Amino acid sequence: MTGHATQPSGVILASYPERNGRPSVVYRNAGDSFLLVEFGEMVFDLTMSFRVLGLDDAIKRSRPAGLIETIPALRSVLINYDCRQISARDLIDFVEEQYEHLPPFENLVVPSRIVELPIAFDDKWTREAIARYVQYQRADAPNIIDGTNSKYAAMYNGLRDEEEFFSYIMATDWWNAALGFFPGLPFAYPLDPRYAVVLPKYNPTRHWTPAGTVGIAGPCLAIYPVESAGGYQIFGHTVPIYDPQQRNPAFRESPVLLRPGDRLRFRPRVTDDELEAMIQAVYDGTYQYRIDETATFDVGAYLRFLKEVEPEAEAFRRRQAEAAARVPVP
Amino acid sequence: MLEVRNGGFETTVQDYPGRIGMLSLGFAPAGPMDDYAFRFANVLVGNPPGAAGLEITAGGLVVAFHDERAIAVCGADMGARLNGQPIELWRSYLVRAGDVLEFDYLQGAGFRTYLAVSGGIDVPPVLGSRATYLPGAIGGLEGRKLQQGDRLPLGEPMTDPAQAAGRRVPASLVPTYPGYNEVWEVEATRGPQADPDYMTPDDMAFFFSHHWKLDAASNRTGYRLDIHKWQWARTSGGAGGGHPSNILDNGYPVGAVNVCGDQPIILCIDGPTLGGFICNAVVAKAAMWKLGQMVPGWSYIRFKEVTLEEAIALVKKQDETIHESNLERS
Repeated sequence: MTGHATQPSGVILASYPERNGRPSVVYRNAGDSFLLVEFGEMVFDLTMSFRVLGLDDAIKRSRPAGLIETIPALRSVLINYDCRQISARDLIDFVEEQYEHLPPFENLVVPSRIVELPIAFDDKWTREAIARYVQYQRADAPNIIDGTNSKYAAMYNGLRDEEEFFSYIMATDWWNAALGFFPGLPFAYPLDPRYAVVLPKYNPTRHWTPAGTVGIAGPCLAIYPVESAGGYQIFGHTVPIYDPQQRNPAFRESPVLLRPGDRLRFRPRVTDDELEAMIQAVYDGTYQYRIDETATFDVGAYLRFLKEVEPEAEAFRRRQAEAAARVPVP
Repeated sequence: MLEVRNGGFETTVQDYPGRIGMLSLGFAPAGPMDDYAFRFANVLVGNPPGAAGLEITAGGLVVAFHDERAIAVCGADMGARLNGQPIELWRSYLVRAGDVLEFDYLQGAGFRTYLAVSGGIDVPPVLGSRATYLPGAIGGLEGRKLQQGDRLPLGEPMTDPAQAAGRRVPASLVPTYPGYNEVWEVEATRGPQADPDYMTPDDMAFFFSHHWKLDAASNRTGYRLDIHKWQWARTSGGAGGGHPSNILDNGYPVGAVNVCGDQPIILCIDGPTLGGFICNAVVAKAAMWKLGQMVPGWSYIRFKEVTLEEAIALVKKQDETIHESNLERS
């Protein structure tokens, strides 16, 4: 089998069209230590994640010498390798081999924990981060209205007001496709397409975001695990998902709470004061995280659900796109 | 044991290559910003090149020794004095119990310097490395920079300190750092999201010819460069968000140039591991050390394009260079 380079600058090292129902794949040069493997098109298709995590597993099981690690995301796997031990070409051949033999994902039932997280909306921490951005970075950002991003988020998605936007966040489970950015940060996507809100990113990005902040960019939801820079529109706050000091039983095995394949559920909605008490209790070791450890996810049933709700999902996508076209991006 | 009498501006314990294989959990590798000086310092004192030592940023560190050790200081000149007597950079010395080593502040070009001690710093490894990762507050000494009163355990030297002392790196292998307001030439390959899919050929030509100013708001997580109005090959980020720099989130190569809206940011060794902005270039692994000696707010960068093959050749050459066989007796 042969791929063909399509770009003189050597960005694309190999590309293969769709085969036997498997999405197309492109291998992109990512420097002397990394290779980016990308599937399908730049469209939001959550089912990509099931394939990616399957392939990621297969690569991990039979890693060749020189392969250091894999970093899965929604529609890609970034491979970290030692160029002194293996060439990009051999790595591509190895991944192709795994991809060829990947079982169909339509009948999979995969372990997938359900993690319930309390949330405060337009809380004092989020407002503080936005106020700092206005003061020190950009005063005229269109994504900031009345010191929040939530009013803009509602407008951009054709929703009535920020309360309707918040109800959308709570109405769907979020599939954690990947961890990254900073330790244990989930990249979670809405499982129910009828509530799949979309938002652009900050421009320029924030210098400061407090730990515990909840935000969205593109279709993706993130929880910031540590104080950091950030580019997502921010609207909420939750309990810690990273504790290097491992002060709560939930962190006994790892300083990172979440895993790829988890489903996040935001409930209950709480006030700033209630959340503050919960955060304190996490560090006292008395807060009990609500995690269903034994839950599984039936991919086939999920695909049937997607078919059922498609008309409603399409109606929301249209409304969303029409609204977004009328709203300025940062 | 190494006794810290003054922690200076920002001094951390680091090892090389840092915390490898944790990117998929969101942990950047950390390690020394200038791995060339760091590894040579270790080789000078008879340690493996990756052994844990100290990264001293801008200066001000004062330490006292409690037993006989070989030491070496490599990197930027901070006017290091041993018991009040100036010592040379890129050279190993013998120290005894009661000796005091003090660093002043920057004397000229460069920004960081490295102290290696025979036997290495013996803090407990966390997740496989002793490197301090400040954003996640782990590794090194309690995941933080050093302060007065800290006591750092040292390991058993692998070679006789008296034998390791009295050697130097030949002048031909000691880099000359560009001064304030001068331009660093940094080798880089085109990244996974360059032209023609994401940027225009003109955008890339500009990227590889412009002298980029390093912003004062730069640190071990990211090096911010000037804002530039790009042409872009796309009108929007599609499913990734409204701006053409937006993509569906994917893994980030260490050393990637991450274009966030209009601003390019080099992702350094404490940087984010995954996100939703394009990476139009990746700094060659063998050129990463240069970032460690640039001065935020002063230095300029010109990216010199290299092919993947050239970048790999540079890695191999650098490994051969940083070797005991290249040292001289002084």
